Amino acid sequence: MVGPVPSGIDEIGLLPGSHVCAFYRGDDDRDRLLNGYLGAGLTAGDKCICIVDSAGTAKRLEALPGSRGEPGPFDGQLDIHLPESTYLAGGEFTTSDMLTFWTEHMVKAEIEGYSFYRLVGEMTWALRDAPGVEHLVGYESELNRVTPNYPVVVLCLYDLDKFSGEVVVNVVKTHPQVLVQGILVENPYYVEPDEFLRSARA
Amino acid sequence: MTTEQTTRNHTAAIAAALAPPHGGQQGGPDADPPDANLRERLSEFRALLVISLLMTESVNEDQILELAASSAPGLGPWRIDGYGFTDGQWRPAAAAGSSPPTGLLSQLATLGTAAGPVRLPGRAWAWAYPLRGAGGLLGHLVASCVGEPPAEQRFLIQVIAQQTGVAVSNARLHARERATAAELAATNDALAETVTSLQRSMDIHQRLTRVAVSGEGQPGIAKALHELTGMPVAIEDRYGNLTAWGGPGQPDPYPKESFAKREHLLRRLMRASTPVRDGERLILLASPRTDVLGVLALIDAQHRADHADLVALEHGATVLSMELARLRGIADTELRLRRDLVHDLLAGSDDDSALTRAEALDYDLRRPHRVVIVEGRGRARAHDALLSAVRRAMRTARQDGLFETWSGDVAIVTAGQANWEQLRRAVETDLGGQVHIGVGGPCARPSELPRSLREAGLALRLRKTLLPGNSACEYPKLGIFRMLAAIPDLSDVETFVREWLGSLLDYDARRKAELVHTLTQYLEHGGNYDATAAELSVHKSTLKYRLQRIRELTGLELNDPDVHFNLQLATRAWGTLQALHDER
Repeated sequence: MVGPVPSGIDEIGLLPGSHVCAFYRGDDDRDRLLNGYLGAGLTAGDKCICIVDSAGTAKRLEALPGSRGEPGPFDGQLDIHLPESTYLAGGEFTTSDMLTFWTEHMVKAEIEGYSFYRLVGEMTWALRDAPGVEHLVGYESELNRVTPNYPVVVLCLYDLDKFSGEVVVNVVKTHPQVLVQGILVENPYYVEPDEFLRSARA
Repeated sequence: MTTEQTTRNHTAAIAAALAPPHGGQQGGPDADPPDANLRERLSEFRALLVISLLMTESVNEDQILELAASSAPGLGPWRIDGYGFTDGQWRPAAAAGSSPPTGLLSQLATLGTAAGPVRLPGRAWAWAYPLRGAGGLLGHLVASCVGEPPAEQRFLIQVIAQQTGVAVSNARLHARERATAAELAATNDALAETVTSLQRSMDIHQRLTRVAVSGEGQPGIAKALHELTGMPVAIEDRYGNLTAWGGPGQPDPYPKESFAKREHLLRRLMRASTPVRDGERLILLASPRTDVLGVLALIDAQHRADHADLVALEHGATVLSMELARLRGIADTELRLRRDLVHDLLAGSDDDSALTRAEALDYDLRRPHRVVIVEGRGRARAHDALLSAVRRAMRTARQDGLFETWSGDVAIVTAGQANWEQLRRAVETDLGGQVHIGVGGPCARPSELPRSLREAGLALRLRKTLLPGNSACEYPKLGIFRMLAAIPDLSDVETFVREWLGSLLDYDARRKAELVHTLTQYLEHGGNYDATAAELSVHKSTLKYRLQRIRELTGLELNDPDVHFNLQLATRAWGTLQALHDER
């Protein structure tokens, strides 16, 4: 698959390997993005893996058509995780553990027979008082290196009611694509992984 | 540290983590510094574009100002200190204090619509940028830095100010539009409610007015009120008797409260000017004046009566008051006319006139009538009470008639053949005290009624003066008395009385004694000492003494049959003359 796939959000198409940052305001807007993005993936037969910040959101997603827990061909197509078992597994955040998590799940999906994957992460976990949060930018940058090697699209969700304007500016600077108000803003000048790591080591 | 502060600190830490490393080379390892710088500027513009989109999307002014201020650290080393608006209001950015630095607002005022430098304590460089909206100048964005920022940074601040101004202007327009829309919606709602309420009031008014003028009476009022409220309606008289019912579920038999409970309820209703709830009923008095004519009740077991229902109830009570007042007026007039007729019949009226007036009152005077006089003594003497008691007794005895007070007594003109003694006892039981009744003879024509009145009066007086007991005295049954009273010239009768009783009458006159009365009772009781003494309320020895005096004064032997007959005739004639003299 080389052409754009429907994101499920506002008629926007995404190329395989895309790593998109999406801004929203409030739970209703978040659910609209999640439902559209995951709904399109489930319909297309993609493997969907998502990390949400609350058990309530996870329960709502389980009710999506074709999601886990329902009989039929979609059983096991949607994996839902919480930050405690992913970003903050072991009580702290580490870039390598998270990249391993995603890579293992994508490999497993390929073994299960899926030809395309959709990953999504709700980023409000990063507002928690947990060790390793400062490695977030390194992780985001490293993820940019991983995603081009897989038939995958990745969506990072930032709540504008919780993150400041400074976060918005810096996220835009480090992401190649930003989804805001139904518009996909391309940033060809984003800080690429090698640049970031070189700068970080300097 | 509060949760909000903790979140803010974390947000700042994340922003710092996401920021490209300061002084780092961008655009690849071999990129020239000018190229890396250009890439960073271009990247900042992309970020600024996103911030602008987010601000434009927002309709919350505080959210816009916060977003602009909090994005500053991501764009450069400068900061936004706050916003000064043309109405003199100062909105500080989160990082600054709540009050504007001294003199800042006056500096902003002198700038007008232009951008320009301002003085901020502890800041080497401070600049105010105009916030412009669709309606003109909104205020200024005040930014500052530890040193003067380069031109490209100042340009970014200018763009931020411009975008903030547009977004705030949009938000205010939107807020005004929302407020106007809300105000319009509220006005429309209130208007619709008023129109609905007015329409309902008009419907109520029209419906009940139609009932009032159509003569549908109390059943019509009850039916209309039921149709207007959807609830059953009861109309009761003053005593709690049902007079009309509207709607389903009429109780049978209709429950009636005790007298005391009813009076208590009426007192409550008289004190209240609005409907009073009594159990499952909403009640209002129909009381056009100070007296209670009726009670109107809405059966509202579910307590669902709304304002319109209460309006209908109040309007219904007004219409009911009018209806009851009309009925009362008719009854009063009829009563007055009947009493006038009785008065004229007793005083003497020609037959044609009397019959015409009686027919107008729907009373059949063509039947033979007689006059009955009822006299009350003691508690029974109150005229109105006596009149009411006589009416009730006649109604109970199923006798019709015309009634009027007459010289302190009650006169009845009736075609009835009642048991008059039974009637007398009924009135006496009703009122207490003592009641006497005199019944006149029947009259074929109305013009003869004065004669019957005279006979009734004569019977009443004879009963009191001559006859034993209190029982009703009927003139046609008076025998010798009736014959004596019918004699046109009484001089022979008076001579006869004088001949037999003269010495006793003189003695009574001289000594204020009662020898004639004593002799009368002795003869009327057939010479029975005990019965005579009891009638006169004297001891038997006193009676014997009086009889001895009578023998001495008259020189007559009372046991002589001839003497006995003449004395009895003389005493009856004397009584008749007394009664006739009283009449004159």
